[in-house]
Amino acid sequence: MISSVIFILLSIVMLVTAVISLYFRDLLASVVSYSVMSLVLTVMFFHLDAPDVAIAEAGIGAALTVCIFVIAIKLTRRREE
Amino acid sequence: MRLASFLSLVLIAAFLFVGILRLHPVGEPLGNPDVFKDRGDAITDIKNVDTMDDYYLRNGQTETGSNNLVASVVFDYRAFDTLGEATVLFIVVSSISMLFFTMIKRKGPETSGVSRIGEFPGGVSRVITFGSFLLYILIITFGIYLVVHGHLSPGGGFQGGAVMASATALLLISSLMTRNVQKTKKIFSFFESLGLTLFIGIGFVGIGVSFLSNFLANGNPLLFGKAIAFGPNPGYLVSAGTLPLLSLAIGMEVFFGLSIILVTMYHAAKDE
Repeated sequence: MISSVIFILLSIVMLVTAVISLYFRDLLASVVSYSVMSLVLTVMFFHLDAPDVAIAEAGIGAALTVCIFVIAIKLTRRREE
Repeated sequence: MRLASFLSLVLIAAFLFVGILRLHPVGEPLGNPDVFKDRGDAITDIKNVDTMDDYYLRNGQTETGSNNLVASVVFDYRAFDTLGEATVLFIVVSSISMLFFTMIKRKGPETSGVSRIGEFPGGVSRVITFGSFLLYILIITFGIYLVVHGHLSPGGGFQGGAVMASATALLLISSLMTRNVQKTKKIFSFFESLGLTLFIGIGFVGIGVSFLSNFLANGNPLLFGKAIAFGPNPGYLVSAGTLPLLSLAIGMEVFFGLSIILVTMYHAAKDE
């Protein structure tokens, strides 16, 4: 019971951060929101007994993708037109 | 155009939901109980098994000697797919470094190699430098653990390599990495190519049976050949045959490949 409540809460947080990352005009804030979504997704994968995927998501989704996005923002523009 | 993309999205979602209906329930991996009734010999008669996942669950441990069944699928049963993934990563790294390497300003070799801790390299605070150094050791240790224990616990080459590559980003922001980007890239690309070559080489050694066949499993205990029993057990570090070796090769390739992407993009974006 309690675990399914936590699961639904995490899903809501994930949906909200995903939508927020689409609607931010400041791209750096958008990337940070995407990173939070990846982190919540990691917890959900772990909850679903998939630790392999959770580790990959934490390493690639939450850390490496964000690094590459930040470098790309530095090479281009910070604000979306 | 919009309607077409919406329709394709609905179609893909419908296919995924049909696939979900055929999965085993979470926490109950044993699909057909009759298959698992006798826990003696491995099932050689494929007709006894309903689906492919039942076959892996029943025979994966005894055939490959790996307790992590995901690793046994990735590096043994479907190792050829892994070779394809590794090749895709190799091509991506090559093209990205080709794109960004022309943007790096060539200013001749810089004299300073690796900066010492506490020297304020590049105007970075000592707190950031030392903290990154401590975190770097922890993350690299965890990554090596993931790669080496890929056949025993969750993890493996891809996961461990990705975790270790995120430590490279820490080195970059703390200016601890050598500033000579040409030399760094040369060393990293050598080890990346070595990883992929090692993978293909191990595949060719087992070509007596088939390409990438696990020729070391259930053989000599000194050469990763220790056999393990069916069921829950801690397993051995020297089991699973070629699986740990392939995991090590993939870990090397992923770590150095992703590090090359980070290093070249960082130096292209850095303005001095």
